[in-house]
Amino acid sequence: MNYTVVNREVQIGDIYLTAVTSSSIFLIGDADVIQLASAFDTPPESLIVGPFVPLTPKGS
Amino acid sequence: MKRLSVVQLLNSKTFLLSSVLQIGDSREINARSNVLAVQRQYELFYGSEGEVTFPVFTKPIPTLDVPVSVQTYRLHESPVISVRSIYLIAASTASVVHIGSTSTVKGETRIKHIRQLAESTSPQASTRMTKDG
Repeated sequence: MNYTVVNREVQIGDIYLTAVTSSSIFLIGDADVIQLASAFDTPPESLIVGPFVPLTPKGS
Repeated sequence: MKRLSVVQLLNSKTFLLSSVLQIGDSREINARSNVLAVQRQYELFYGSEGEVTFPVFTKPIPTLDVPVSVQTYRLHESPVISVRSIYLIAASTASVVHIGSTSTVKGETRIKHIRQLAESTSPQASTRMTKDG
């Protein structure tokens, strides 16, 4: 399969960004391959209400 | 052949936690970060915490392979990408702000978030542990 991209003139004015985080990329330019992934674990079970028990320490 | 990136003004405040401002071309970017975020209602920290590995940090994340069967041709009619100005407050957690071209970008972030609140006065309130440790 052949895939042709024609990039004509690109002229951008002002970019306002608050934040770029978590292995994301803000790119002004060309790239061949971009592979980004993220895993975010905040299940309801991760909310612990009760005595402040320590997280599982090493070796237990 | 890659295009030239022209930015007249970059105004950024903060780069933290292994984030990068790259001005100029690069070949390969590999950005990784693991975050264990524990929030407690009161200031409390037991020294030996967080040394155990949570599944979110070890589970393999499947990647989408680039199909080699697709032949891509890029024609740059204009050799310049022009930007007048960029206002950026912050870049964080192994992120990249890149002015210029690159070839391969790989990034992976894994975040485990745990919140601990003090027991409420209600007798119904019970202790709940995280399911995966």
